[in-house]
Amino acid sequence: MSSLRGWKPWALAAAVLACGSLALVARNDYLLQVLFRIVLFAGLGLAWNLVGGFAGQLSLGHAAFFGAGAYGFALLSAASTPRWVALFLAAVVAAAFAGIIGRIVFRLRGPYFTLATIAFAEVLRLSVTNLKLTGGAIGLSTPALFSGRSTWGMLYLSAIALAVTAFVINVYVARSRFGYYLMAIREDEETASAVGIDTASYKLRSLLISAFLTALGGALYGSAFQFIVPDSVLTIDISLQMAIVTMLGGAGTLYGPVVGAIMLLGAAEVFKNQFQESHLLVYGILIVLVVLFLPEGVVGGLQRRFGGR
Amino acid sequence: MIVFFQACLNGLLTGALYALIGMGLALIFGVMRIVNFAHGAFLMVGMYVSYVLFDHFGIDPYLGFIAAGLFLFLFGQLIYRFLIRPVRDRSDFMQILMTTGIALILTDGAQLIFGADYHQVNIPLVNRTLRFGAFAATAASLLSFVIATVLIAGLYLFVTRSLTGQALRAIAQNIEVAQLVGIDVTRIQGLSFCLGIALAGIAGGLLLPALYLFPSVGDDYTLKAFVMVVLGGMGSIEGAALGGLLLGVSESLTSLYLGNQWALAVDFAVFLVVLSLKPSGILGRQRT
Repeated sequence: MSSLRGWKPWALAAAVLACGSLALVARNDYLLQVLFRIVLFAGLGLAWNLVGGFAGQLSLGHAAFFGAGAYGFALLSAASTPRWVALFLAAVVAAAFAGIIGRIVFRLRGPYFTLATIAFAEVLRLSVTNLKLTGGAIGLSTPALFSGRSTWGMLYLSAIALAVTAFVINVYVARSRFGYYLMAIREDEETASAVGIDTASYKLRSLLISAFLTALGGALYGSAFQFIVPDSVLTIDISLQMAIVTMLGGAGTLYGPVVGAIMLLGAAEVFKNQFQESHLLVYGILIVLVVLFLPEGVVGGLQRRFGGR
Repeated sequence: MIVFFQACLNGLLTGALYALIGMGLALIFGVMRIVNFAHGAFLMVGMYVSYVLFDHFGIDPYLGFIAAGLFLFLFGQLIYRFLIRPVRDRSDFMQILMTTGIALILTDGAQLIFGADYHQVNIPLVNRTLRFGAFAATAASLLSFVIATVLIAGLYLFVTRSLTGQALRAIAQNIEVAQLVGIDVTRIQGLSFCLGIALAGIAGGLLLPALYLFPSVGDDYTLKAFVMVVLGGMGSIEGAALGGLLLGVSESLTSLYLGNQWALAVDFAVFLVVLSLKPSGILGRQRT
């Protein structure tokens, strides 16, 4: 893992400040919305990275946590919980939900694990679609976190705060005993378990943190567009995007998810007019190319080539 | 009671088509150890092949399904050669990503070519109802059922009796030993991949008269195919056929008692219960 000594923390802080100051300069809501999406998915990718990157567990069910965050926030706010309390409470609920899911899915390996994560997210999506409480297929309106003229600017800054938090957690994990245990599980779960690592417990812990961050992202997303439907926040597309962003940049690296988010959402933005509804075509092509030619992702590949480990 | 048995009958009629889909997935998994997340997308391609033949040349879907199967067998060769073989020895993680990528390309590619509109084929067989005492079924669903049953039986005989079929099962049981006794593993794996995909295409062709066609129609079937295959024991072809029939009946009964909108949710709930209680499936044995 890359070290974070000397000039690096300062350079990173400067980069974050530069990104943040865009919120003050840019008066264009469209531009801020694009930036919001990119930074949000960088944060989500970093959250996914804990489970999919460090622990090597290919979850394609993170939409469940994203949606739980968005719906939890909307429902709690509707029950007149203060907005910021609702935001964090929704994330706690999503993490508790992850605790239940994790106990079941982490007993499974490889494709079985991935399938079970998809099945959980789909059961949640279908239940939300069919229940009255959650507004069914029609959806729920979500309160705005910010009011006033610079709503998108504030949302963009919140997304930056989320991404920075997720990044700091990734740095901590990459250098801690906890992180080494996760990587040991990724490399060889049997051996990790044989040398006395409680694999189930560490995988579960990584999922809890990941789900908490993902749910915060979901709630932010919901409040940004002020309206959620099951097909916008609980669809498998969200799970796929989180995984692709991370894989594209490099799973298990610190900068990978950030680079991946810029590439993927940038490409989606550029090709939006050419392909319109078929934007997933671009994602599909990117995935196939990465798997064939850059299995370690852009950052992973560069680190290997230039020995920046 | 009549209603209950009628629902079971409907479930079995759909279930035979599901069995074809599930057997295709099981064949690929058994011989290649690759979980094909693009299975439903290939089914969708089969539906579009049959639809185009019907729409442009007036070819009946009950002939078109053969073309769909052949097309996918050949298309499968290309996919196998350029996209699947390179990841054959890579981690599950990479294989799942690869097939997911293929699924996205096929689905959104179809959307780019054919648009997001819903299509339907209108053939007289769909509207003709046959009655057997208290029970009823459309002529189209009966014909699909008969064709599917013949194909299932044929596939079963092929896998158990023919030399190629035996090679196929040998690889599924132990790939190293299969190699040692002189089986051309690469060729057999390619064959089973194409065959598995062709089965999805055939099932797509046979489902066409009964469904609305749109680019993401196959998405649910990928997940359903997994449910069948896990129900029957991953990699067991007979098990997958049984899983298909069970799934058809369970969906039909769910629609009857809880409403159609819950059918898929119940599928997944059953799937999670089976996965957590008996991951080797109903007929399967645990393999490493």
